[in-house]
Amino acid sequence: MSANPANKLQPADDLPRLSGDVVLSASREPVAHTAKVLAINPRNCTGCRTCEVTCSFVHSTAGRLGRSHIRIHPQGNDRFVQITCLQCSNAACASVCPMQALSREPATGAIIVDPNRCVGCALCEAACPFGHMHFDGESRKAIKCDLCAGNPACAHFCPHKALEWR
Amino acid sequence: MVVIKNAEHLEDWRTELLVKTTSHRKSISVCTGTGCMALGSHKILEALRAEIEHHNLDAEVELRPTGCHGFCERGPLVLLRPGNILYQRVQPGDIAEIISKSVMSDEIIDRLLVTSEDGKEKYPTESDIPFYRHQQRLILKNNGLINPNSLEDYIQNGGYRAFGKALQMGAERVLDQIIRSGLRGRGGGGFPTGKKWEICRSTKERERYLICNADEGDPGAFMDRSVLEGNPHCVIEGMLIGALVIGAQVGFVYVRQEYPLAVERLNHALTQARNCGLLGKDIFTSGLNFDIQVHRGGGAFVCGEESALIASIEGRRGVPRKRPPYPAVSGLWGRPTNINNVETWANIPPIVDQGSDWYASIGTESSRGTKIFSLVGKVNNTGLVEVPMGMSLRSIVYDIGGGIRNHKKLKAVQTGGPSGGCLPEEKLDIPVDFDTLVREGAMMGSGGMIVMDEDTCMVDVARYFLRFLKSESCGNCTSCRDGLIVLHQLLTDITEGRGNQQTLQTIQNLAATIRATSLCALGRTSVNPVLSTLRYFYNEYLEHTQNKRCPAGVCKALIHYSIDPDLCNGCTLCVKHCPSKAIEGQKKQVHTIDSELCIKCNACRDVCKQHAVSVQ
Amino acid sequence: MEMTIQIKINQMTIAVSEGQFVLEVARNAGFDIPSLCHHDAVEPIGACRICLVEQKIGHESVLTTACNLVVQEGMEIFTDSAEIRAHRAANLELLLARAPGSKKLRELASKYGINEPRHPPIQDNYPKDCILCELCVRVCSNLGHKALAVLGRGDRKRIGLPFNQPSETCVGCGSCRSVCPTDCIFMRDTPETRTIWGKTHRFVTCKQCSAPIMTYEHRAFAVANNGLGEDYYDVCESCKQVAASRRFASVVW
Repeated sequence: MSANPANKLQPADDLPRLSGDVVLSASREPVAHTAKVLAINPRNCTGCRTCEVTCSFVHSTAGRLGRSHIRIHPQGNDRFVQITCLQCSNAACASVCPMQALSREPATGAIIVDPNRCVGCALCEAACPFGHMHFDGESRKAIKCDLCAGNPACAHFCPHKALEWR
Repeated sequence: MVVIKNAEHLEDWRTELLVKTTSHRKSISVCTGTGCMALGSHKILEALRAEIEHHNLDAEVELRPTGCHGFCERGPLVLLRPGNILYQRVQPGDIAEIISKSVMSDEIIDRLLVTSEDGKEKYPTESDIPFYRHQQRLILKNNGLINPNSLEDYIQNGGYRAFGKALQMGAERVLDQIIRSGLRGRGGGGFPTGKKWEICRSTKERERYLICNADEGDPGAFMDRSVLEGNPHCVIEGMLIGALVIGAQVGFVYVRQEYPLAVERLNHALTQARNCGLLGKDIFTSGLNFDIQVHRGGGAFVCGEESALIASIEGRRGVPRKRPPYPAVSGLWGRPTNINNVETWANIPPIVDQGSDWYASIGTESSRGTKIFSLVGKVNNTGLVEVPMGMSLRSIVYDIGGGIRNHKKLKAVQTGGPSGGCLPEEKLDIPVDFDTLVREGAMMGSGGMIVMDEDTCMVDVARYFLRFLKSESCGNCTSCRDGLIVLHQLLTDITEGRGNQQTLQTIQNLAATIRATSLCALGRTSVNPVLSTLRYFYNEYLEHTQNKRCPAGVCKALIHYSIDPDLCNGCTLCVKHCPSKAIEGQKKQVHTIDSELCIKCNACRDVCKQHAVSVQ
Repeated sequence: MEMTIQIKINQMTIAVSEGQFVLEVARNAGFDIPSLCHHDAVEPIGACRICLVEQKIGHESVLTTACNLVVQEGMEIFTDSAEIRAHRAANLELLLARAPGSKKLRELASKYGINEPRHPPIQDNYPKDCILCELCVRVCSNLGHKALAVLGRGDRKRIGLPFNQPSETCVGCGSCRSVCPTDCIFMRDTPETRTIWGKTHRFVTCKQCSAPIMTYEHRAFAVANNGLGEDYYDVCESCKQVAASRRFASVVW
């Protein structure tokens, strides 16, 4: 496998892009065939962590709570930033995967892990510039935000419209 | 060396060679197959050479080291022509007499002739000997006639004539002949050869390969070795015809590591063929390009399975893969590959030379032609035998094999190599062909035939074959790898007196799973030794499990030795031979065996001249 | 993918594409076929013989493994019958003799009614509880390391390092352990090192918090082969998240 210059990206390049009134589009360049994006508005976030709990519940397996793919990071006393996968258009995780187990789902624009192809080498976890890829010790495979197949639970349950699927 | 330009040129050369050889008054053939070599035939050859020189007979006597004559039991063999006088068990001391009596005059030396078992009848010529008389030696006949290192000898005996004919006939007509001959693969599968060629030939890919499977791994089988050692050119010729029909450019001969002589002679023959324009570019100015490479195996039995063999040539682990696709469509490096066994390739030249009708007249409806068997075990005449398909097992064992050694009773005949089956006495009259053998729970395999007498324990035999198979399984499939380990353990339990009815049931079930769920033919047939012995010798299993007795007196845990006081004359021979000092006894007094110390090695029974030692 | 072939699985007609394997197709259609040696990322070899299905050919049906069975037009497959279950159970029982300590295997076997395996454990199996499915070997080879090999054959077949020599190519990524169905590959991590296959690798640690990220060899291999520079791999997951959140905050406020 040789280095593909197209896949070569610098963290600074791939930074979240701001749009409109400080709402962040999940995709740096909106994916053409998806109508909606997960919009994050930290100004509305109260740090209630409903999103984290919801995500854990949604991604629980065999009665066990899953790892939340969204995290609240307090910034000072009353400011909170929600951090979740940005579904980068030129994703580092997908570009390093030696088994091509990561791909973009056309319907939602999410980068998803094919658990049947993932061999658990954890390279994607090390490569993600934002720390959004995780290695699940139980299944020994990579896990990440999958935008809940087009209906992100975090956005659905966010009481303050700090997360919106729109 | 002559470079042959075309078929006419070959015929001219043949005529020339024939003239040269008729100038010899006598010809002496000495078998230099592996068997006779082991018995010292190279010394015989040297002695003959010296003696011929000594008598200045070079011009009129021709000395030929030849391939295996098949009667390995009686080696070293010396054949005198004209007359086809066969001398057996020739020693260097006999040479002077042979030259002075049988070569310089026409006297026959009685002492060296093959005799009947009772010694009453003597068989002077090869065709008198029952071992040869009942055979039909289509492939093997040239083995005794030609020097395997001499292309001239092969050509003299009609070599490469079939190839010349094939070129004239054209690929399609040759293929038609092969199909109509009814030839089926001699490696064990019995797939129609012509059909296989047709499939390979009709593929779209232009690059195609031929493989000759000479990975003969069955214990006690040496048909392919003998053909490669004795007549390598017939395999090369067969492959040349195959290349013409199939349109292959490269052929491989996969020879097992343990056959150094075969490799040496084959390589020698290949060099000769290349030098004479029989291999290489534009063969016989026909535009055909074909060459053959020799590939040596690493000693794995499973590499005789075609897809494992292909993997091995490619440099991978010898593991069978799922078929389809069959090698004829996607084989070596993904290209169409026609793979046939040595004996199959050797059958091709005679079919093309003498026509499919002639060939199809030999053998039975479903199995045409002849088959070479390596007849071994407790028969009087062991060796290689070639018989028309459909001959009965009884004929092979009694007429050719000369019956059971030491006038014992026959118990079973095991055919088809380690994964073949054991047939009992009452099945001796079945015709030996592909389909009948399979129907009776055995198989043709590549032609191993082991004769067992009444002293053989069938449970022990099954266990022996399983031990071989469990270490020679490639280890890919759970069912074959672990199934055989467990099956072997269960059989060991039985032979050591720990078996019961439940054990037999578990064996049956496990064998069914191994047979039904393994990937390759090797795995699927690996339980044949168990299933066939269970089918025909169930009572013997019951004796082991219920009465804890081994009727044949083989299974050590179930037997004990004793000395019959009425027969023992107190010679102390057994006392001297017992390795564990288990026998007590003074001279002229009856001896006794201490069963606590006895290790059941059978030494006492072997040495006792009074037959006083018995096994219970 | 063009769905050009029609096959029947348990009487249900399914459109599939050329070159697909029956196991994949059947699972996509919702039929549960157990297997131990299968992984989508590597070529199937049909080792465990658990994914048995029945293929109807003419009037006869043969048992075959679904993982390496390529779909063919008009193919008829049955994935569950008394016979299939019996043979799956028999093979599971054999595997239990090889890997009596595997929880996953015991669970699967008990689904097939094997609660007390009759066969005594197979001796000298190393690694302990290894079922010789070769998944680790195949994955390692696909990743480009080729550190593992199948050694021997028949009853002496084992998984291990080629020629039993310490591996020069193992990068300590742990994929072999991740895919192992019986969890039999020994791996021990400390904050600084990872020990696997008899070799101890040093971890690249986070330059901010010193948490382990990956082994040096794995990073060198990834940099050389997977297209991202070394600077991608010098901060741990958590520290990267914190950095991202700060950066985000600075843009928002």
